Amino acid sequence: MSGSVIGISYGVITLLVMFSGMPIAFGLGAVAVGFMYFFMPGSALDTVTQNVYEEMASITLLSIPLFILKGAAIGKSPAGKDLYSAMHAWMSKIPGGLGIANVFACALFAAMSGSSPATCSAIGSAGIPEMRMRGYSPGFAAGIIAAGGTLGILLPPSITMILYAVAAEQSLGRLFLAGIGPGILLVGLFAGYAVYRYRKEYTTAKVAYQSGGTSAGAKSAMLDDHVYTMAEKVEMLPRVVPFVVLLIGVMVALYGGYATPSETAGLGGILALVLIAVVYGIRTPKQLQPILSSTIKESTMLMFIIGMSLLYSYVMSSLHISQDAAQAVVAMHLPKWLLLATILVMVVVLGFFLPPVSIILMTAPIVLPPLKDAGFDLIWFGVVMTIVMEMGLIHPPVGLNIFVIKNIAPDIPLKDVIWGVMPFLGLMFLAILLMCFVPGIATALPDLVMGAPK
Amino acid sequence: MSHGFDVGEAGLELHDPETLGDAGHPAVAVLDRALKLVNRLVMVPCMLAVFLAAAILTYSVAARYFFKIPTEWQDETAIFLLMGATFFSGAYVQSFRGHVGVEAVAGLLGRRANRFRMMFVEAVSFAFCAFFAWKSWTLFAEALHEGHSSNSTWGPPLWIPYSLMAAGMTLLAVQLALELTSRLVNKEAPK
Repeated sequence: MSGSVIGISYGVITLLVMFSGMPIAFGLGAVAVGFMYFFMPGSALDTVTQNVYEEMASITLLSIPLFILKGAAIGKSPAGKDLYSAMHAWMSKIPGGLGIANVFACALFAAMSGSSPATCSAIGSAGIPEMRMRGYSPGFAAGIIAAGGTLGILLPPSITMILYAVAAEQSLGRLFLAGIGPGILLVGLFAGYAVYRYRKEYTTAKVAYQSGGTSAGAKSAMLDDHVYTMAEKVEMLPRVVPFVVLLIGVMVALYGGYATPSETAGLGGILALVLIAVVYGIRTPKQLQPILSSTIKESTMLMFIIGMSLLYSYVMSSLHISQDAAQAVVAMHLPKWLLLATILVMVVVLGFFLPPVSIILMTAPIVLPPLKDAGFDLIWFGVVMTIVMEMGLIHPPVGLNIFVIKNIAPDIPLKDVIWGVMPFLGLMFLAILLMCFVPGIATALPDLVMGAPK
Repeated sequence: MSHGFDVGEAGLELHDPETLGDAGHPAVAVLDRALKLVNRLVMVPCMLAVFLAAAILTYSVAARYFFKIPTEWQDETAIFLLMGATFFSGAYVQSFRGHVGVEAVAGLLGRRANRFRMMFVEAVSFAFCAFFAWKSWTLFAEALHEGHSSNSTWGPPLWIPYSLMAAGMTLLAVQLALELTSRLVNKEAPK
């Protein structure tokens, strides 16, 4: 059997197995072992487990359960609600301030928890009812939260970035820093759009009220002002400060050279547990048990997929499938930007049926060599790919965040949610375009902190 | 004891909320209950291991910067703990279908076709995990007999993590075998 036939059948059989509904981890493992049996020397099968063990037993990969622990500790405490209330109180004076507060709260919470769905449900469960009460249209409110939640995989520490760093053999510290610039850009774009949309909806509500029509004439809650006193604002602060300290403390430990990324994960997890013990009194084993058990449920599921994706990639490269595919892509001599666009479209399509973690590990050996060949910076590409995956979290048919929103605000029709996220998809696309013209948005910060790449 | 997990929380998306339910045949039901108990018991060391790994890495930072002690065993101990926690909880996660899959096709097929689809999925998953468990045990035996240890300066014996991987995968294979058996025994299985 020729190489390309093996390669194509590997892909086709994987697709069939995935669509059978088999758990992704077992499906990838079974396909990999099956191809080993037919096309590789018998000794390969004897070392399957050693292979998986050695690939997984990396302290960088195993920092993932610890980052999840930190996220679960923050996510299961009332921290999200408090963070949100404080943001709201401090920004209530700005027109559209509530929308901005939601975007900021999402960004901060995402950076602390590292999880997009957790951010959506923590900030959204307080933010969506509040925005709707103040007259924001349901779709707009849902869109802000869905889009804000995606920042979890872009702002450090991000699990998808950990995997990309491993797959692309890039510095994790550098990659984390590279996510910050584009993260701030997206926060700015989202906040700007929130103000614009707020003004539009405000004007519509005002016109409707003043024209005094029968049904439309009801006064929209948007026109009522709610003013917080200074005392109220100050009162909100103590509950938020510890978490901001945690966030900054972890960053300093990492970039001040005090801790490796994996030690930072452990430190972050313990600090988060200490903080919720001090601030919210969550300290008995009975209270901690849900945090630890949800950590394990999520991390085990992810680590199995990661381990088996690594086995899958190993077989793909042992059979020369990835090398041949990469060479074929290079041989097409696509113009630089067409190559990038093609690869990103492929990432979007794969996102319809595979989680980001598998996409990264499975496609990296195929897409990275051609990209490097075309002169793209791989740290920069890691950030662009992450934003594309963020888009995958909110676009139909599979956008995970859309379903999280559906869970916390079941009365908003799916159609409204989907239309609500569309402008934000546009903004993310705009951010990617900006990054193509000005790569420094991503690469300037790591170069500044860690020196220019060798 | 209830673990009180909420589907959809903390990013855990279950595409197949189906659980085993009544396992029909009494023998299968007894096995099912026994395995549920084992899985719950195993969760206790798993939870402690994750917590301990975080604590050890935190200590590692402190040891280096406050007490100036070189760190050599911390990373590997954390690796062993986290690998153990991952593999040991594999069966528990499978017990509520926590290993996600693409369920897009399920809605398109009829009841009978779906039953066959699930049997295929469970049989292949079981075969893979059983194979993996078997090869993990041989790896463990080899490491134990030949005294393999890791390459680091600390160099702990490798049979320790291998045994955790092997035992965890065995438990997972048993869990999958039970799910398949209960589907075969119970002709009118839920869905």
